[in-house]
Amino acid sequence: MMLLIEQALNGLQYGMMLFLMAAGLTLVFGVMGLINLAHGALYMVGAFACAAVAGATGSFWLGLAASLAAAAAAGAVVELLVIRRLYARDHLDQVLATFALILVFSEGTRWLFGSFPLYLTLPPLLSGAVTLPGGLQYPLFRLALIGLGAAIAFGLYLLITRTRLGTRIRAGEADREMVAALGVDIARLYTAVFALGAALAGLAGALVGTIQSVQVGMGEPVLILAFVVIVIGGIGSVKGALVGALLVGMTDTLGKAFLPGVLARLIDPSAANTIGSAIASVLIYVLMAGVLIVRPQGLYGERGMA
Amino acid sequence: MSEPILDLHNLRKTFGALTATDDVSLTLHPGEIHALIGPNGAGKSTLIKLISGELRPDSGTIRFEGQAIDRLGPAARARLGLARSFQVSAVIPGFTVLENVMLAVQGASGASFRFLRPALRDRALTEPAQFHIAHVGMGTRAHMPAADLSHGERRRLEIAMALALRPRAFLLDEPMAGMGTEGARDLTAILSELRTEAPILLVEHDMDAVFALADRISVLVYGRIIATGTVAEIRASEAVRAAYLGDAA
Amino acid sequence: MTREAALNAALFVALIGTALVAQALGEGFIITLATKAAIFALAGVGLNLVLGYGGLVSFGHAAFFGLGGYATGILASHAMSGVPVATLPFTLNGSTEMLAIWPLAIAASGLAALAIGALSLRTSGVYFIMVTLAFAQMIYYLAISWPAYGGEDGLSFYVRNTFPGLNTFDPIQFFAICAGLLAAALGLVAVLTRSRFGLALRAARQNESRVVAVGIRPYSIRLLAFMLSGMIVGLAGSLYADLNRFVSPAMLSWHMSGEIMVFVILGGVGRLFGPVAGALAYIALEHLLGGVSDYWQALLGLLLLAIVIYAPGGLIGLIAGRRHV
Repeated sequence: MMLLIEQALNGLQYGMMLFLMAAGLTLVFGVMGLINLAHGALYMVGAFACAAVAGATGSFWLGLAASLAAAAAAGAVVELLVIRRLYARDHLDQVLATFALILVFSEGTRWLFGSFPLYLTLPPLLSGAVTLPGGLQYPLFRLALIGLGAAIAFGLYLLITRTRLGTRIRAGEADREMVAALGVDIARLYTAVFALGAALAGLAGALVGTIQSVQVGMGEPVLILAFVVIVIGGIGSVKGALVGALLVGMTDTLGKAFLPGVLARLIDPSAANTIGSAIASVLIYVLMAGVLIVRPQGLYGERGMA
Repeated sequence: MSEPILDLHNLRKTFGALTATDDVSLTLHPGEIHALIGPNGAGKSTLIKLISGELRPDSGTIRFEGQAIDRLGPAARARLGLARSFQVSAVIPGFTVLENVMLAVQGASGASFRFLRPALRDRALTEPAQFHIAHVGMGTRAHMPAADLSHGERRRLEIAMALALRPRAFLLDEPMAGMGTEGARDLTAILSELRTEAPILLVEHDMDAVFALADRISVLVYGRIIATGTVAEIRASEAVRAAYLGDAA
Repeated sequence: MTREAALNAALFVALIGTALVAQALGEGFIITLATKAAIFALAGVGLNLVLGYGGLVSFGHAAFFGLGGYATGILASHAMSGVPVATLPFTLNGSTEMLAIWPLAIAASGLAALAIGALSLRTSGVYFIMVTLAFAQMIYYLAISWPAYGGEDGLSFYVRNTFPGLNTFDPIQFFAICAGLLAAALGLVAVLTRSRFGLALRAARQNESRVVAVGIRPYSIRLLAFMLSGMIVGLAGSLYADLNRFVSPAMLSWHMSGEIMVFVILGGVGRLFGPVAGALAYIALEHLLGGVSDYWQALLGLLLLAIVIYAPGGLIGLIAGRRHV
């Protein structure tokens, strides 16, 4: 039971980090109609910025601020120099150009920081464990990540429903020409949305980098998971991104934790371990396949988008 | 009167609060041109999409040559001989005129899974295609890419594609749209010849063409058919004048 | 068109010529590079069938490349150990015969393409890109988490498989096999895309609803194209495994999918010889830029950006001009 709660919390924390990635991707697609493979590179930029600044100053918090700033700045620069030219292009051009951006970012980072992984140390304020009701010892930092993810989800909800930027974002999703007709400066809106998505990705990179390690290529596996999240949740929908992210986070974590054990009751334990972990590693894709069969447009997607 | 080719019975389709098609019943008989007119937003496009199978009605049935086709998708309906031409000009832009019509011949033949012989050397495709191209007076344009055709030529190409489907009925959605006076006159002549191939359900804004071609006219307003009758009857109808012709005249 | 045909011939001559000249000069390494280019071109030809002619942006073709490779590696390693690959429902023994391995590699990748295609083709546009990418990643993780065939470390089989009448250890003879299969695949794609099937496939790319309106279901046309495409790419994967005598999850990675796509786009999407031009250029760049800097992929990235932004028709488009279809 204790283990189940612990793993569920892990799944929740994982899901929240996936949400930070997926939210930016889905916003950029919803507003600009752009598929951005380089979103994972911005995640990596955030992680490296945090590691570099935290290493130089000794302050994790400065590092975190740097991750937001660096990723947002990288996002804005990339949008101005490259992405902007791609809105009117087909998806194939977008895929190739953003794939090229991954190469540039990855190799550039390798050139700056080398191939060895960097590690971030937890700030004293958030290190250690807390005892939850029921006696479960759980790392404080992971709890903080869950809280932060929830806060950002709520903040995004407010941003989209209550602010002028949000109104423009929603209008842009509905009808791009209309926004232009309303006199909103489309170019600046796009740069702002792209930088916002980049900042969220950078933040996720810094936070996950604190749990794991910071290295070149860390962004793409997460990017592909974020795609799975979006396919499940429905493209363009921030709510879908949240639900999809939590589903994927939970399915993956709980599957990996419990599937081998469950199988071991049915078949030979050593085979169960092998088969169980193999199945667990693909469980989220099975989930995605199921959604594709039942609702190809995703749980919260509009019909006709798929 | 003969058995109808196409028989719509109490079709209804709503989008949220909007009733786009409100209990529409309508028939199309062999040899006739049945025109469907109505102001913009009356639900003409929705009705055409219901017939072609792109949309599914909430209730009601569609019979085609006596057979209920409600469960068939658009491709299957096209293979039965329900030939549709589009409101937005619909050809394959990168294909030549010949290739476009060949594609329609191929669709009607039902044999797309052939892999070896080049389609352009497949006389079962090229010969009927050439025949239909000549039929609409496009013989000299056969090898021109569809993207380079004039607007009127593209309409003719669409008619040729519709003919190639060996249709049992035509659904023509505003074939005159965007045509000059002369082009419209040309096309009117082609359409009046077309009815000998198969009956036509014609959605059209060009009243000259409608009055020249139609055997019967149905007037659709806010998703409902408010009148069906001959040209003279519709011209004389007070209800139609009030609802529709009035604001045009 | 004739200009493109001349260019096509020149490309193939360049590929063969490079290998022959290298053979005369005793430059085994260059022959290996030419072999690699031929194999990558073969993979690109496979992808081009769906990407170029079908307009389906699959970012998951590494799955089929890797499966073809793993099928080859698994059969070869079982042949060496003498243990059958499977005993149920029938006994499948390992093999070191290319002629026995290829059909199995093609069948494995074809089946995977059928399953992945059947699901992915329920979506379109940007969904399709993400879904194909995700399913390829699924197979990647399966390969990593399945310890029997090396897991993350991959699987070596030390001895290149054999082909009757040829010495496959001789680089130029192995090159001849790869170039021959590339030529066969080019011929197959040329025939397919001109046939009735190809007419429907190309039409569906340009105007899907029109194709439906003439009574053709694009889904089945596309699914078959996707499967054939996966089979060709699987064969390329089998050859690549034999070239390296080693398979690893890297063959299944998203990066590999991206590279196969780059071969196609760099050369020119929807042009028969586009992938040949693209693969040749890619290998040449890798070799030349790799000599300039360890970070050559960054330079490659910048070059790709320039091509997307300034020359969307790819290399063949630059030389032979834009065209319809």
